[in-house]
Amino acid sequence: MRIVFLIIMIVLSTVVLATLQATTPPYAMLTGPIMTDGRQGETVAATTFSAQIKQVQKAKTLAWDQFGRAVERQSSGTWVIVSAELQAMRETMPVRGATIIGMSGRLYHQSQRAQAAPNVLSAKTVQPGLPTTGIFIFEIPEEETRNMVLVLSRQYGPQLEDELHITLEQNGLVSRGRLEIGKNGP
Amino acid sequence: MAPDRERKLWWLSLLSLPVLVAAAFGINAWRNIEEYLRRSESEIVTGTDAGSLDYAGALWRLEKVRLIGDGRDTATRFPGDMRLVVVRLVATAHDDIGERWNQCQVSLSDDTGRRWQPLDVTLSNDISRDLEPKVDPVKGCGITSLAPPKRNSAVMIEEKFVVPADAASKLAVRLSFASSRPKMISLPLGL
Repeated sequence: MRIVFLIIMIVLSTVVLATLQATTPPYAMLTGPIMTDGRQGETVAATTFSAQIKQVQKAKTLAWDQFGRAVERQSSGTWVIVSAELQAMRETMPVRGATIIGMSGRLYHQSQRAQAAPNVLSAKTVQPGLPTTGIFIFEIPEEETRNMVLVLSRQYGPQLEDELHITLEQNGLVSRGRLEIGKNGP
Repeated sequence: MAPDRERKLWWLSLLSLPVLVAAAFGINAWRNIEEYLRRSESEIVTGTDAGSLDYAGALWRLEKVRLIGDGRDTATRFPGDMRLVVVRLVATAHDDIGERWNQCQVSLSDDTGRRWQPLDVTLSNDISRDLEPKVDPVKGCGITSLAPPKRNSAVMIEEKFVVPADAASKLAVRLSFASSRPKMISLPLGL
């Protein structure tokens, strides 16, 4: 009788523990970003900052002037240039984390090859009350440019901080062979 | 005798387990609370734009405030609502500062709770040289805190901020150090 009781208790404990383990959210989810969703064209606002996507362009070649010297960057995929306006709500902050989720679900961070281009938003600091405009530049495969989602945050991998997920409009995607980036953007 | 003692020890160990787990959580939580208080600025000591405030071993007063960008202070006009605020503070040490000025935080805030952080050192020094080419830039709080003034001597610090024009009249400068937080001082700019 005692053995039966022990077996029942062990089985019951195992079931309870397995249930607890299966239903406990992972640590990464508990301390993950606070997400706000929106679409291109509208102002997507979280608690600490907001963003409005003005335009999305594609190009095979990017060009800009750096210290009086012409710089040109070509891509075997395509460059995606996102023009945006950012606003900080509470305090001075950068928006360094910018990622595009492509058609396949892969994540593409901003291109290091174009980080010296003028007017790049991740190099700026956003001040409360002063809307800041600029661009984010990505280099991604052509087939990934459908149904893109732009993810913005203070820095990459935010924990318990705001993260904007902005769906980019396929119809509004402007395609160019070569795109010149000036001091005020493309 | 031996089994009785063993049984007692077994029960003692079992009963002490929840106490030890609770103590471990408590110690960890206390450390986190201490760290949070060390970072936060929840206790504000407000001064007047003419008076001095005693804080972190020194008397602090607002020496000079400049609002640049609307064409009045200098001919410079910034686009849109952007304005540059240059704040100079003077601290007269009445005590040995030592390491009490570590992790200096300076910011501007308005009546709605918005906060502006100072410009970085390189940009700040570039602006100083543009404004006064023949004068060495005044050091910011971070650099000054590495070599604080001796007792009974004074030091001036300067920080620059980019703010919107509509906030300028409501701004106050806030200053705090790790050793004195959560206490901080706030001096209205009076622009």
